Amino acid sequence: MIEIKDLKKIYGNRTVVDIPGLEIRAGETVGLVGNNGAGKTTFFRMLLDLIRPTSGVVRSKGEDVSQSSDWKNYTASYLDEGFLIDYLTPEEYFTFIGSLHGLSVAHVADYLRQYDEFFNGEILNRGKYIRDFSKGNQNKVGIAAALMQKPEILVLDEPFANLDPTTQIRLKNLLRELSRTRNMTTFISSHDLNHVTDICNRIILVEKGQVIKDIQTDENTLAELENYFSG
Amino acid sequence: MLTTFLTHQWKSFWRSRNRGGSIAAQVVLGFFMLYFMLLAVAVGLWMPEFIAKFFPGQDIFIVFTGLLLYSFVLDFAARLQLQDLPTLSVVPYLHLNIRKQQIVNFLNIRALFSPFNLYPFLLFAPFTLYRISQTHGTAAGVMMFAAVISLSLFNNYLVLYIKRKSIGNAFIAIGVVVLLAVFGLLEYLKIISILDLSSRIFMPVIKQPLLALVFPVMAVIIFLINSRYLMSNLYAEELGAKEEKKASTDYAFLNRFGRVGELAALELKLILRHKRSKNSLTMGVLFLFYGFLFYKKEHLANDSFGMMLFAAVFMTGISIITYGQFMYAWQSAHFDGLLANKIDFRNFIKAKFLLFTIASTLVTLLSSFYGFLSWKLLLLHLAAYLYNVGFGVFIVLYFANLNYKRLDLTKGASFNWQGVGATQWILGLPFLLLPLAIYMPFGIAGKPYIGLLALAAFGLITLLMRPFWINFLTKKFEKQRYKIAEGFRE
Repeated sequence: MIEIKDLKKIYGNRTVVDIPGLEIRAGETVGLVGNNGAGKTTFFRMLLDLIRPTSGVVRSKGEDVSQSSDWKNYTASYLDEGFLIDYLTPEEYFTFIGSLHGLSVAHVADYLRQYDEFFNGEILNRGKYIRDFSKGNQNKVGIAAALMQKPEILVLDEPFANLDPTTQIRLKNLLRELSRTRNMTTFISSHDLNHVTDICNRIILVEKGQVIKDIQTDENTLAELENYFSG
Repeated sequence: MLTTFLTHQWKSFWRSRNRGGSIAAQVVLGFFMLYFMLLAVAVGLWMPEFIAKFFPGQDIFIVFTGLLLYSFVLDFAARLQLQDLPTLSVVPYLHLNIRKQQIVNFLNIRALFSPFNLYPFLLFAPFTLYRISQTHGTAAGVMMFAAVISLSLFNNYLVLYIKRKSIGNAFIAIGVVVLLAVFGLLEYLKIISILDLSSRIFMPVIKQPLLALVFPVMAVIIFLINSRYLMSNLYAEELGAKEEKKASTDYAFLNRFGRVGELAALELKLILRHKRSKNSLTMGVLFLFYGFLFYKKEHLANDSFGMMLFAAVFMTGISIITYGQFMYAWQSAHFDGLLANKIDFRNFIKAKFLLFTIASTLVTLLSSFYGFLSWKLLLLHLAAYLYNVGFGVFIVLYFANLNYKRLDLTKGASFNWQGVGATQWILGLPFLLLPLAIYMPFGIAGKPYIGLLALAAFGLITLLMRPFWINFLTKKFEKQRYKIAEGFRE
């Protein structure tokens, strides 16, 4: 599904990302873990063609993401508030994102109904612009808008941050279900080792831009990661 | 305590991350400030001469007092539009062991640090303290001076109070200016006379200096009302503007343009929902009166369009210039989202063209009231309009690809240098000089109408070439987008 080759990003003389090769198969749920400054967000941005790599390519379904924008048809993402159009109401934002994928207003409204539980009554019909919501609720809007696009590839940067415990658990269930029913390929970064080992079947540990570990999750993974990070 | 607050303010001003950035912008801002101050001093010093020139044969004191009412209504409107509330700055102090009274005092004193409170001194001091003192006695002069300064302070705290209570909105200022224009016209047609009313209010002060005490008392009253209100409402969420319920809106007329219309609607919402863009909008409306400065009788009679072209291009293209100069930075906060989503870059560019064409057409229609001055102006505006929608939009969008500075939309637009970079300075040159360059050869040759025709033809041809420009700009945008996105993330 995704193939990364010789991917490098260098700022000045600091190498932020350096991945010689990486392949993600369809349906995999990949967790990206690493301390601050490990290059997770930069990596995601190159994956989404928001930053030009110093060298190397990211191929999605065999096509270079910086050359063709076909990948946008089946990829949805939410990295940070920079993805939200914060002067819109959540309804307007969902309608807009929906319209990009050919969904009508009615479709979008219908679709959002299944997220009632996830939203916990705090998002829709509040008479506020997105910028006036709390960080956690902004996150919810961004994640729901990404899921609404029925993507084959989903990229989320620290989706659990700022979410309340109930929503964290609901989000985990949601992601598990989507990867099972739709065979969705998911990329998640998180600082919460419990969550990532819980839902990801593959964990990639990065430090200073380099892949340190690339493991299939089993019952020992959490202990292994905890051991690594406490060292 | 107060001095501590003030030093913090001073530091926050100089250390602000978005302080216009470059030294150049600072220097230019300083230059402008100096220029305005010198202007105020000059007008103040030569006020008797000005009055004698514009109102020949009248008593200068009667004219001066007559103009005072106008000047303070104008001052009020300008403050309402431009003066900012010094509120957010106190939030970090509210939870500390500081008495409320001290914070209120700070807010009140902080409000005095505004150019609006400086210029009355420069403008009125020479005339009142020197001229009036000379003729009517020192007491009259000093008290008159006290009266004008008090009125200025009255305006200062009244505007703050209105803004705090959120009674007003952006359009009040325009309303006041329009009202003033109407009264000015009625005055001109000798139907009613505000001048007369005003001098009837202020002339007694010259005769009876003690009467002037009314004005300081007024200022003190509004100051106390303001302090009282602050005292009882010193909560972060109540100090700012009141929040009203936000509704989702849909611009049906844009729907016919499909995807492009959707993107244009998105941007229209951006304009209407942010302070800075709304400010630009109201300023654009005010600039509609710009023509009165340039459209002189002798120019019209001699068909010297060259002298008027600048104003025409500026007015009909005001939306393109004021909004376009910061393009695409208006969307800097969600630029990553735009790139990562399924948005065709060509549609993205097309939406800008659509929006500018609509805005420019509207402004040109509005400006057609100049047709009452002369039908020639309609021709001039038409030529300028065609140039603007044909080539002007392209210039602006071309420079948009070179603008990497993030823009903070939550602050007002006036004297806001955040997000200003080299592009904004360079942009104006080709935009305003090119039409002159096209017209001038014909103007010099004594064929002004051919000149207008040439400009209109240039505009029309470039308008017809729009698919080519869109292609060109899309390619450029594809190349530049990483750099733009990176700049906007700062």
